[in-house]
This record gives sequence, structure tokens and C-alpha cells, in this order.
Amino acid sequence: MAAARETDAFDAIVMAEARFHGEGYQEGYVEGTHAGVIEGRQYGIQQGAKIGLEIGSYLGFSMTWLRLLQKHSDDKHSKKIKVLESLIETIQRFPHQDPTYDSLQEDLERMRGKFKQVCSLLHVPSDFRLSREGSALSF
Amino acid sequence: MKDSLTLLSRIPAHPDSRCWFLAWNPTGTLLASCGGDRSIRIWGKEGDAWVCKSVLGEGHQRTIRKVAWSPCGNYLASASFDATTCIWKKNQEDFECVATLEGHENEVKSVAWAPSGNLLATCSRDKSVWVWEVDEEDEYECMSVLNSHTQDVKHVVWHPNQELLASASYDDTVKLYREEEDDWVCFTTLEGHESTVWSLTFDQSGERLASCSDDKTVRIWHQYQPGNEQGIVCSGTDPTWKCVCTLSGFHTRTIYDVAWCHLTGALATACGDDAVRVFEEQPLSDPQQPTFTLTAHMARAHTQDVNCVAWNPKEPGLLASCSDDGEMAFWKYQRPEAY
Repeated sequence: MAAARETDAFDAIVMAEARFHGEGYQEGYVEGTHAGVIEGRQYGIQQGAKIGLEIGSYLGFSMTWLRLLQKHSDDKHSKKIKVLESLIETIQRFPHQDPTYDSLQEDLERMRGKFKQVCSLLHVPSDFRLSREGSALSF
Repeated sequence: MKDSLTLLSRIPAHPDSRCWFLAWNPTGTLLASCGGDRSIRIWGKEGDAWVCKSVLGEGHQRTIRKVAWSPCGNYLASASFDATTCIWKKNQEDFECVATLEGHENEVKSVAWAPSGNLLATCSRDKSVWVWEVDEEDEYECMSVLNSHTQDVKHVVWHPNQELLASASYDDTVKLYREEEDDWVCFTTLEGHESTVWSLTFDQSGERLASCSDDKTVRIWHQYQPGNEQGIVCSGTDPTWKCVCTLSGFHTRTIYDVAWCHLTGALATACGDDAVRVFEEQPLSDPQQPTFTLTAHMARAHTQDVNCVAWNPKEPGLLASCSDDGEMAFWKYQRPEAY
């Protein structure tokens, strides 16, 4: 009994470094994970908001122009309307709740291309400013 | 071999500036040159001499990088670093700017007309390729903006008889596009070059595409249709383009341009080592694994980088080249007798 206790006592002393090291690692790991999750979340929100702002601007822009063009129902605007509708459809089909969506970048590039095409057809510079404060529509 | 390329004449086309690009009109009677001096010059032959017929000076604010004639020969498109593309209409001897295409964010690097003359493609440092539709009233409408490349797009060229577009980029790849339901899509990417792809040229049949690169090689790509005899796998109805030949070890610097003569099948290159070279496919070489031989090598063809080579579309063997030294040169290429 006494011998065993003695071994334990030595064990506790000898192994202390390893034990504290292990505990420290665990604590650090938990804290790091937590911090990482917060940082990742922040970054995700930022990036998501950026993409959301971009896509939202495209949607608002194209919805507005679609309404304006539909008022005059002559053939002259049919191409513009078609491209606007196609852009709107692409945006509405875009799974904006799923950040792991496989062709997210591809779809984004397609929308950017469509937006530029629409601007060109409408003779609107694609870097026009949304407000007087000067937030340009260039993402 | 040295005699297979002879100098016919040399002209200071854009003095004190760079001469970037040359384009023959479809009948081969006029040559357009453009340069760092923001001008386009039209050259025609009078007797034995090439003389400047007109200067198109007021279109662009910055360097004009490339020019292209429409298939009918009545229009000339110019791509400029000022982010615009101008369309010039030919009236007898004079040219008038009838349209300015805006939309690219920065330097437009290249412009090309489709064989039908109804479509125009432009590309830019903004990484995009634009396809424009031309209507009867000289109105140009953007049909598509293609963001497939991840870097500066250097060159665009159309297939000689199909509505198929190819682009070359600083991202080391070549991309091919076709129309799909009122839109254009990239259907394949040709990977293999290890550095910037500077230029592209189709052969006369359109079965083959040559690309030249900063990696000092020229690659020959062959088109395989679905169900081909060689068993090359195709996805869906799209053809597969496979590299069947790499010309390496001939050039010592970046190859800036490559041109396939549609009359003779000779392939010319413009190189940063100031030389112009001509290659020919060896007779009887396997079309699936062709061998190309260097048949002409004109070292010091110019005193600086050679930027462009262009075969006359009607006169076999008449080659024009231009350089950073501002000069352009006309060459007579004669196939060596062994061929």
C-alpha cells in the first residue's frame, strides 16, 4: 500500500509537466476552436453580405428596368427584356442560403457577365453610382 | 534554308513608336497597321512599293493594340488600350469611325470578326470576352460577356467556317466558346502551355488550331468530333481538342504571334528574339501525330521584338511582319525544294 502510494506521488511529480502540457493543450484547443468559429462566422457574414449586396443590387436594378421597359410594349426593347429576364431568373435560381453550393463562383461570374451585358444594352455605365455618397456599383 | 525567306521591303510604319499588329483585307490588296502612336495606317501597293493610303488618327486616346477587317472588307475594327473598340467604315479611300464600342473596364487587347460578319468578339485585361451582334444599321449590341478566364485575355479568333470562338490568356489557357440558346458558353479549356498564351490561329480547314506562348513553344491542337475513329473521348455533342504536336526548342524568347497560311499551310511565328520563322508539316507525317519542320529562320528580321506575322490571303508566300522598332517588313517565302 505504502509503496504504491509512493509510486503515485512520484508519478504525480514526474508526470506533472506532461499532464499540465496536455491540459494546457486541451484548454488552448477549445479556446482556439471557439475563436476560430467566431472569426470564421464574422468572415462568412462579411463575405455573404458582400455577395448579397451585389446580387441584390443586380436584382433591384433589373426589376426596375424591366418594369420601365415593359411600359412601352414595342419590339425595340424585346432583346433587352429577354436579357433582363434571364438575369432575374439566374438570380432567383441562385441558392442564396447555401454557401457551399458547388457552382457558386461560376454562377456569380455569369451574373456579373449578364449585368455588364444589360448595362451595355441599356447604355448605362456598369460602374455608375448608386447614391451621392459615391458607393459605386463595382464589386 | 536561309534563302527560303527573302526581304522584299521594309517600311517605318509607325516611326518612334511600336508597331503592334497587321491585318490584310480579305482581298489582300490593303494592309492595316496599328501602333503605340494611336494611329492606324492603311497600306496599298503602287507598282512595287507599299505606300500609305490613309491614316486613321482620331479614334483612340491610347495605344491601338489590334485591328481586324470585316469579311466583306468594308469595315475595320480597332482595339485600344483606352478601353474602347472603334468600327471604321470604308468610303472609297477614306475611313470614317461609325461606332465606338464601350463596356470593357480597361485595355482592349484584341478584336475579331466572325466569318459571317454578323458577330464581333473583343477581349480585355478585365479578363472578359465580349461577343457583339451587328445589325443592318451598323448598330452593335452586346450578346454576351464571358468571364471564363482568370487573367488578362490576350487574343480572340473565330473559327474560319463555324461560329466558334477561341481566346488566349495570361492564365496559360485557351478557351473555346459556342452559342447556346441566345447566349455564349465556354465549352472547353485547352491546357498545356506553361505560361501566357499570346496568340492563336486556325488552319484553313478549321480542324486545327495553333497557339503560341511565353513558354517558347507553339502547340498544335486537333479537333476530334464525337464518334471519331481514334476513340478520343468527347463530352456530349462537343468536339474535343487535343494537343497533337508541340514545337519546342526553336524559339529562344516569348512567341508573340503565330499565323497559319490558308493557301500553303505554312505556319509563321513572330518571336521576342527578333526572328521570324516558318514551319511546315512534313509530307506523309501522321495527321494524328504530325511533325513540323523549321523551313525558314530569319534571325534579326527586326531590330526588336517581332509582334505580328500576317500572310497575304491571296498571294501565296507573301508575309508581313512588324516590330517594337516601329517598322514593318514584307517577305517572300519560298518552300525549300526538298518539300
